[in-house]
Amino acid sequence: MNNTKHIATLKKLLLVVLLLRGIYSGNCTAQETDYKAYTLFIYNFMKYVEWPEAQSKGDFVLAVLGDSPITKELQTLASSKKLKGRNIIIKKCNTPEETVGCNLLYISSSKSASVKALKEQTKDKPILIVGEREGLAKKGAGLSFVTMEDDELKFDINKKEIEQHQLKISSSLLSLGIVIN
Amino acid sequence: MNRIRVFFYATVLWFTNANLTFAQTDTVAVKKDTLDYYDMSLDQLLKLKAHGVPSELEKLINSLISVASKKPLNVRESPSIVSLITEEEIKNSGARDLIDVLRLVPGIDFGVDVEGQVGIGVRGNWAHEGKVLVLLDGQEMNEILFATTQFGNHYPIEQIKKIEVIRGPGSAIYGGFAEYGVINIITRQAEDINGLTISGTYGQMEKDYGRRNANISIGKKNGDFAFSLSGMIGQGQRSDQTYTDFADTSYNMTGNSSLNPKYFNAAFAYKGLSFRCIGDFYDTKVGDGYGNVIKSGAVIESFNSIFYELKYPIQISEKFTLTPRVNYKTQTPWLSPSYDQKTAYNRNANRATGNLTASWNINRHINFVFGTETYQDKATDYTDSSFFANRTQHVSYFNYTFFAQGLIKTRVVNFIVGARYDKHNAYGEAFVPRIGITKKYNKFHFKALYSGAFRAPAIENINYADSGGIRPELTQVLELELGYQVTRKSILTANVYDITTNNPIVYYTDTTNADHYTNSGHSGSQGIEAEYRIKDKWGYVALNYAFYTVANKGKIHEYEVSQSSSSLLAFANHRLNLNACWKVAKGLSLNATASYYGSRWAYTSVDSLGASALEKIDPTFLLNFFVKYDTPLKGLSIGAGCYDILNQKFKYIQPYNGGHAMLPASSREIVFRMNYNLNFKKKN
Repeated sequence: MNNTKHIATLKKLLLVVLLLRGIYSGNCTAQETDYKAYTLFIYNFMKYVEWPEAQSKGDFVLAVLGDSPITKELQTLASSKKLKGRNIIIKKCNTPEETVGCNLLYISSSKSASVKALKEQTKDKPILIVGEREGLAKKGAGLSFVTMEDDELKFDINKKEIEQHQLKISSSLLSLGIVIN
Repeated sequence: MNRIRVFFYATVLWFTNANLTFAQTDTVAVKKDTLDYYDMSLDQLLKLKAHGVPSELEKLINSLISVASKKPLNVRESPSIVSLITEEEIKNSGARDLIDVLRLVPGIDFGVDVEGQVGIGVRGNWAHEGKVLVLLDGQEMNEILFATTQFGNHYPIEQIKKIEVIRGPGSAIYGGFAEYGVINIITRQAEDINGLTISGTYGQMEKDYGRRNANISIGKKNGDFAFSLSGMIGQGQRSDQTYTDFADTSYNMTGNSSLNPKYFNAAFAYKGLSFRCIGDFYDTKVGDGYGNVIKSGAVIESFNSIFYELKYPIQISEKFTLTPRVNYKTQTPWLSPSYDQKTAYNRNANRATGNLTASWNINRHINFVFGTETYQDKATDYTDSSFFANRTQHVSYFNYTFFAQGLIKTRVVNFIVGARYDKHNAYGEAFVPRIGITKKYNKFHFKALYSGAFRAPAIENINYADSGGIRPELTQVLELELGYQVTRKSILTANVYDITTNNPIVYYTDTTNADHYTNSGHSGSQGIEAEYRIKDKWGYVALNYAFYTVANKGKIHEYEVSQSSSSLLAFANHRLNLNACWKVAKGLSLNATASYYGSRWAYTSVDSLGASALEKIDPTFLLNFFVKYDTPLKGLSIGAGCYDILNQKFKYIQPYNGGHAMLPASSREIVFRMNYNLNFKKKN
């Protein structure tokens, strides 16, 4: 009799657990940022921005400042694609100082406040700064992502800033983004 | 042993469930996809979404609407409590007319007015006269003599692309007919039609046909030029039941309750310049007049309107657009050709409107919309013996408006602040502000809204005003909506509201059946609306619940229920709606819609002293089923279904004590539908 009661209790518990599991998995799958799309944009930034001759050889170093799920996506990219025959190296950084020597610097949302300091730190150096958070292009990044009202992913272009870093952006990339100056 | 077994099943199920998620990120598949993904062209990049490929539900809740803000915003951040009804939902459900579509929207209901006409109610409040604005392709359908809109086999349901419903106030944008709500109907435009579409509906009630309607649309967009021409002609009947008045006199509605629409909609656009003309000619046959059965037999009651619009948005700069617009509409509502046109009600009204709206996008996050509008109303009486209050057969009124709205989007919240000022030469001023805060945070969203709203007295409200004159009624509405996207395929939204209307315009008839309007007392309602929606490739289920109470609100004698402090006449405190679609095979869908009405209150008889007697009407459950099939013949779809399967024989109740008995709706109706699209050329 007791055994039957226990089984009934266990069954109820099981039901609750499964329900909670259902809700939990549901939460996991709700609209989350698609960093694969961000990665694809970044790969195209790399392809359609021209670095000075001296920086066009050897490995292409992409630094990610701050914790961001994009690091994993960029590593997948680096393991499967090259940039004009160059290996892509992903460097995970926690401080601006660690980013020295990179070709492209990605500022994750959590490190957005660093953009002004990084602007100073990378002044006149051939580094493309890409901001995850909207508005960073106005504050010193060369490019920053924008999520439009209908969830389309776009990017702002600070052409002046890009040129100050001795980089050339192709007209096709310019026509794709939103030039803010 | 049993415990072990239970534990084993739990473990297996847990991991089975988990694996369903993991299956989406299978390494090999992803690697292949990713490689293809990296080789996407720049043009393909433009189509990428920040949150990945949207689910069917996300496509819906991220779709942009501008009904609540003029500036397009997604449904979850739009600063009103909004319902969006898509063409797909309308077609799948087999909806016979707008009543079938709108009664599934939380808080929307219908009641009977005079002369057999069915009007709309919102959140427990009778809103038929000027409290809900019905827009069709931007044209204000409400007739301007009484500000009413008639429902029942009226508008071309098969030509609708989408309906955006504001279930709350819209006056700060739309003015004096949008006090309690806005129904924005958008029909299929040139690029949607892109060819020729013909469709037909036949409905068979128990005793006679319910409707037989035919539609045709032709449209094409070619470079800068676009045109569309659409038409509808039909015959319908309100009911095949028997209407019995308070004096126990009856008439058979079969053959005596026609709802016959004729409609056309022509639109031309070249670059930014657009012109539209809509004709709406709605003939009804009614045998119940002001409540008593018309002894001489049912009579024709016609509502005729023609609308014109010319609009040209001028792009002053990349950030600044100026849109001049002119509208003209001429309307002859409540016309009874069955009577002598020299003695019966026979009035025409027209409105000429000029509007100049500026939209200034200071940046992506700050937008201002401001402008001015002016209109002139003119009405003429064509009888030999009746006059307007000015003792002539012509009246003319003038109104001017200023409006402004600011929308500021920040990372934390979106703010919307707006106001509208109207000044009318007969009834004076109305000023309505609104403030809203909205935001979505990934899965969660909220809206906190305060809105002032007003109802502008229409021409006959002024004409039949009591000696003290008539003023706009002013309303204040507080609304709070919370939403949570439970999964990528389902969302739960719930909102509460509080409506307070001061000095509402109240209609009553005196002992001689003469019409009167007066501002009187306070009214309003409070309530909750909630909806759970699942949408996926297999179909969708939307279940909503609406509740209102007037227990804490002022009461207007004509609308109140003496036996219940929480209810108003005609409208159920509790409503439950279901709209479900199951796509069982390619092109084949099974659809069920249902509406549960809790108890309603109605005047159903008069006592020996001539006083109307109240009765509590039992709950009603309307269940409908429709099968839609897209045939292998390209462009041809057919459907069949049954409305009111349980044969409840729904009855519309008069929401005020006007001496009208309950008006029967149709009995169980079998519906057949055919739709054929012939595309000129495949759309890009």
